[in-house]
Parts: sequence; structure tokens; C-alpha cells
Amino acid sequence: MNYYQDGVSRRTFLKTTSVFGGGIVAAGMPLSSAIWAAEGKVLTAASTNDISKMDPQFYTAVSEVSVMECLYSKLTRFKPGSEWGWELEAAEKLEQVDPTHIRFRLKKGIKFTGDYGELTAGDVKFSFERGIKHKSPVKDNWGSLDHVEIEDDYTGVIVLKTPFMPLFNIAFPYAVGHIVSEDAVMKATKDGGDFGMNPPSFSGPYVLAEYKPNQHLLLTRNPDWAGSKPGFDEIRVVLIGDTKTAERAYQAGDIDFTGITLDSLAKFKSNPPADTKIEEHPSLNYHWIGMNVDHPKLKDINVRKAIQWAINVPQILEAAFAGQAEVATGTIPPGLLGHRDKALVPPEGDLAKAKEFLEKAGVSELNLTIDCLNESLFSTIAQTVQAQLSQIGITVEINAQDAGSFWTLGMESEGDRWKDMQLTVMWFSNLPDPYYATSSFLQSRVGVWNWERFRSERFDELSAKGATMSDPNERAKVYQEMQDLMEESGAYRFLTHGGNPVMYRTTHTQAVTRPDGYPLYVDFKAV
Amino acid sequence: MVSFEADTPEINDAIDTGAFGAFLRQLCKNRLGTLGGVLVVLIAAIAVLAPLIVTHDPIQIMVGPRLAAPSLDFLLGTDQLGRDTFSRVIMGGRIPLLVAFASLGGALAVGVVLGLIAGFGPRWLDNLLLLIFDTIRSFPSIIFALAIIALLGPSLVNIILVIAITCMPGYARVARTQAQALQSSEYIAAERSMGAGTTRILAVHVLPNVIGPLVILVSMDVPAVIATSAGLSFLGMGVRPPTPDWGAILNDGYSYINQTPWIVIAGGIPIILATLGFTFLGEALRDMFDPKLRKDL
Repeated sequence: MNYYQDGVSRRTFLKTTSVFGGGIVAAGMPLSSAIWAAEGKVLTAASTNDISKMDPQFYTAVSEVSVMECLYSKLTRFKPGSEWGWELEAAEKLEQVDPTHIRFRLKKGIKFTGDYGELTAGDVKFSFERGIKHKSPVKDNWGSLDHVEIEDDYTGVIVLKTPFMPLFNIAFPYAVGHIVSEDAVMKATKDGGDFGMNPPSFSGPYVLAEYKPNQHLLLTRNPDWAGSKPGFDEIRVVLIGDTKTAERAYQAGDIDFTGITLDSLAKFKSNPPADTKIEEHPSLNYHWIGMNVDHPKLKDINVRKAIQWAINVPQILEAAFAGQAEVATGTIPPGLLGHRDKALVPPEGDLAKAKEFLEKAGVSELNLTIDCLNESLFSTIAQTVQAQLSQIGITVEINAQDAGSFWTLGMESEGDRWKDMQLTVMWFSNLPDPYYATSSFLQSRVGVWNWERFRSERFDELSAKGATMSDPNERAKVYQEMQDLMEESGAYRFLTHGGNPVMYRTTHTQAVTRPDGYPLYVDFKAV
Repeated sequence: MVSFEADTPEINDAIDTGAFGAFLRQLCKNRLGTLGGVLVVLIAAIAVLAPLIVTHDPIQIMVGPRLAAPSLDFLLGTDQLGRDTFSRVIMGGRIPLLVAFASLGGALAVGVVLGLIAGFGPRWLDNLLLLIFDTIRSFPSIIFALAIIALLGPSLVNIILVIAITCMPGYARVARTQAQALQSSEYIAAERSMGAGTTRILAVHVLPNVIGPLVILVSMDVPAVIATSAGLSFLGMGVRPPTPDWGAILNDGYSYINQTPWIVIAGGIPIILATLGFTFLGEALRDMFDPKLRKDL
């Protein structure tokens, strides 16, 4: 599998858009080219990550984005398949006028439900600017976005303060790129802020018919949708917190699509459930052990370094991933621009060196806590770390928590729990641009997604620089140095990027995924 | 081999003729009660002697290959962290038994005191205590436990506390009813006429009459508490890793059932045996001491 190796340089982008812009035939297909799907078809899929937001500007997880893709339109979308790339969706044309101006022209006839009219450039402006205006936790996805100028109902210009290369890889085709109705959102929220799990209007092939927290989401066909008919009449996304539980549900016939753990992959491959196709996808996600540098017990860098050196990554991967996952060298996976060949601390660590650091810190016995998701994978990682740290005299108590509790742990907006947070078993999803893999660790993200509370002026400086650079080699060096800075702080012990195998029932559906295995439900075909 | 023909002369001869001997003789007449007693003694003995029985350190990771099948080295195989499942099962019995005895002991102690106070106290106090008992009892116990543990965090002390709180009102109500029945009895009136204080009456005359039925009630609750403790551990709300516990072993086993069923079997069987043992024993005790059910004591 080849990743989208060098992101989108300006030249590449202009070349690509000229192809699209010159004669957009396929991407700009008439919206009337409807393909009717089989009636009465229901897709039941497992989401192993929590879903708590349907507001694109405030998304918290990739699982939410998979659903949003069914509900809203966006200018571009990721191409399904095995190679990263994007194609036009609601935009008929997208043209980079200069490094800080991008003109778009919308397709006509995309309607919002609830009599909120046609999707216009005004809605694009409203949608894109509201995340920044309302200080969304993911506003960094917009980088240097300044504003959107409206030229007419269907045409507008996205204006950046400075060039921002990741816009085409992380903003337009992903979560924050989804366009909502200005009228509907203003009516529902008064100030245009976060509408959480209550979308007031839809512009995609499906509408959200029902949401039961911790149970399921039900999507039904959007009667106002004039585009290609989706494959299913209903999509039921069942919320199953633990992937291993989802595997059981699949075996029991309760669901038709699920991710599977690397741990179970060999077993399923050798003995697959009936009528099942198993696909393996390399993951862009990154897992690490985080350390809260503001906690009094972890303030001393020597303590953090001792922990880094005491953690034996291959042993963790053996225990938690059945040895099926590769060691990560940082937040950027192999194949992506900015990937480091090796980490500063060797994967196996070194207990003698760890003890030296602990002595240097003047610490002989230390009691720490480690927070993790209450799932077998994370619990296994935590228990392995617990055993490893006990070898240097650090006693670790494990706090396994449900997703709702865990994912707000380090957020200052959610209370003071971050003050007690010490070690965490973390993972983030990722996109094919190094900016996305590093922007969560900026100083401005401390107490938002930067739970380690890592602060580095140099890191921020490099992030700003890297986002504007078009030379892939120079850009790669910037992101490699950023990961060095993270690791040198002692706040991170990188573990793995894991893997994203999936399985689905071939008698029911033909699954369609992104190159990293995340489902594109909207493209699933009924069989 | 255990004989269930408990009233055979050999067994009877072996049993002392004192009160305990009479109790054992009576228990042996009930086959299921005998089986329950044997299971309970066996489980308790294993829990007490666990450090001498285990073959490996139960929390040591990677002592063997992960998810290994049973072998001479690892009698019940290994778990996902390469820990010896047999050793974890043996040590894991200590937690549910500790939870059961500590929580029910605490609930019994507090319940009896509050029940006697309610039974002998003024009407307003009785009403107030009843309101408290009924309020606690109105919560579904497992939901109450989940809520409290989610609030306070999972720990052995919190589990014991939650179970004690949920069980206490039941014992208090029984103690109160018994105390009220005894309050109007002639011998209590006689005690009062001789100048005995309420505390003495409660401690010397009422308590011994109340405690018998409560002990039977407690013995009947033990299996439910073991199941609740295991259930909380299964849900990740029990004792914290790496402490071995049957519920936690079951949880680990469930996650890896595709790779090996041995962990689920190893974690599940002791729970079944313990709950069956205490249930049979409790029922036998009830049959022996409940006058309505007693046939020949």
C-alpha cells in the first residue's frame, strides 16, 4: 500500500485541480444520475469508538466522521480504496488561485432537509468559520483559515492568513469540511455554536433518525437527497465499546461489518465466519504512553525518562497486539512524510538506564496511576506497563474508564481531573498529513488534546513553518524534529500504529473503506 | 470419596456429641447441604492456603507463552499476558470470599444495631429508620453499585462498602420485626419489672433471639454477593489489575475466547461451585432452623 506520500504541494494541487476544473465530468456528474438501491436493505455495523458529536466542527472521533459522511455534504472527500487521495463531492470546481486563496464552485441542487433550502456558498462560509469563532477543540484543523468570501450563491473564496498545505488533506475531505445549514443551525443554537448530537438539518444521502446513547444510531434515507442513491435504506451503527465484543456480535450474526483486533486476526483468517471477507489495512493511528509533565510526581524529566527507558515496547506489542503490530517511532507512520526511521529511545528500553534516571531524580519508590480505556486492548497495555515499571520500583495503579469518562480526562473544560492525571494509555486517529499527527501537541492545545501538557516554543514554531512549506523533503525534516522534541521531553513513549483489519458479511454488503480501513458507510453496496 | 449417606453410623460416630456435632449430624442428613458444606470448606481452605498451592506468581507476566493451552507447566493454561491461569484462579478466590464475609459481616452488624434501635426506639425514630431502609432498598442493587463505584472509583473497599450498604436494610428490617415481636413478650416485661435497662435487654435477651434467623439470611446472601463481586469485576468495576479475581479472569477470558476457551472455563467454574456451595449450605441451614420447614430436629 502506498500512502499519499508527500501530501499536496501547491504544484501538485494546481495540476490536480486543473484536471478536475477543466472538464469535470465524473466528479461533477449530474445529480440526477440516480442509481436506485435495493429496497428494504439494512446495514448493521459496529462502531467500537464512542459517538458523542454530530457537529462537524466539534467532532471528537473518527467514528463520528464515518457517520457524518452519510449526513452532510462537503467540498471534497477521500477516495475509497487503497491509496490516499481526494475527489470532488459538493464542489463542482476547486481552484487554488494563489497560496492563500482557494475558489470553490458548488454543485447545484443539494438540498437541506426541513425546508432550509439549497446548500449555498453562505452555508460554506458559516460552516467553515464557526469552528474558529466558537473556539472548537479541533479548530486547528483549519490552520490559518481567515475567512470565506462569498461571490455568489454557489461560488466563494476561502482566504487563508498564510499558506496552509494540510487544508486539502485534513480539512476539506474530513470532519470539519462538512457543510451545515446556516439557517437551521442558527435557529437551533441561537449563536451558531455546538449542536452536539442534535443536527437540525441534513444535506447527505441519509438523515439521523434515532440516537440512543451507548446503544445505537439509526440512519435512514434522506428523502430530499437528489444525488446517487445510497446502497442501503437504513444504516444501524451499533455502539460496542470493545472491539473484541464486536467480534462476538459479528459471530453471532448481529452485525454485518466490524473492525477486528490484530490479536484475533490470525484466528479469523484461519477460520473465518461463514460468508465473511477479512481485509487488512495499515493504520495511521498512533498509540503511546503519555505523562502529564505538570503533575508533581512527573515534573522531573529524569522520572519521565526513567519511565520511557523502562517501557519495553515489543513486549507490549506481543501482549496486546499478539506481536502483529510494528513498533512506532513517533506519531507519523511509515510511508507518510515526516516519519522517523527510529525513535530516540530504543524500543526495548533499558532497565539499567531507567534506574539511573530514577536515581538521578532522587526517587527510590514511586506510586503512580495510569488511566486507560476500559477495553481489553488498553487494559492489556496498562497491565504490561504496570509490570514493566514495577521492575524499577514504580508501583502503578490502573484506572480503566469508559470512553465518556476517559476522553474528557485531560480536558480543562471538563473539570479538574487533569490535575490528578499522571500516566495515560493514549491513542489518536490520524490523517495522511503530518500536520494532523502533530497539531494536537501545540502549546495552545494544552488542556484540550495535549494531555501531556507538553510545551515547546520550538515545536510551535516548526508546526507553523511545516504547514506552509511545499518542499516535501524540507517539510519532512521539520516534522521529524518535532517528534524528536516530543520524545526528548520525556512525556511520550511511542508504542505502535497498530493495524485496522475489518470483516464483513459478503452475502449482505460490499464494504468500502478508506485506505486505513475506516468505513465509508455512504459507499457501502448492498448485495 | 465423600459419602452423602450422612446418617450412617460411621459418620455419626465420628461426629462429636456436642452442639456442633448435633449440627453436623443434622446437616449430613441433607445431601445437598452436605455437598454445599464440603464445597464451602474446600473453597475456604483453598483461599486460605492459596500461597502454598499456586505454582507460579499469579501476577508475573510472561511466565509462559500467552494464551497457552493447559499443560503440566501451566495446569489451566496462560492468559493474554502469559500469566499462569491456575495460580490466578487459586489466588482469585480470596477476593470474592473476602468481599462476601466483610460486606455481609458489616451489613449484619450495622443492620442488627439499627434494626434493634428501630424496634425498641420511639415511633419517630422507627419511621425515620424505615424510610432510610426502604430508600436504600428501592435502588436496584447492581445499578446502585455501578453508580457508587463509578463515583468513588473501583477498589476493594468500595465494593465491600457498596454491598454492605445494599444488604444492610434487609437485615435491619428482620431484626426490627423480631425485636418488636419480642418487646411485648412476658419475659421482656419481667426483665423490665426487675429494673433491667434497654441496653441490657437488647444485648442479653433480644439479640440472641434475633441473630439466628439473620445468620441463615446471611448465608443465603453469600452466593449473591459472590456473583455481584464477580459481576463488578467482569465489568471492570472490581478490584484493580493485576490482582487476581474470578470476575476479572472471566472478563479476560471472554475477550480472548476466540483464541482459547480455557480462561473462561477456569474463571467460570469456581464462581459456579462457590455460589452452588453457599446456596446449598444456606438452604440446608434454613431447613434446619426454620421451624416451619424443620421436619425432625
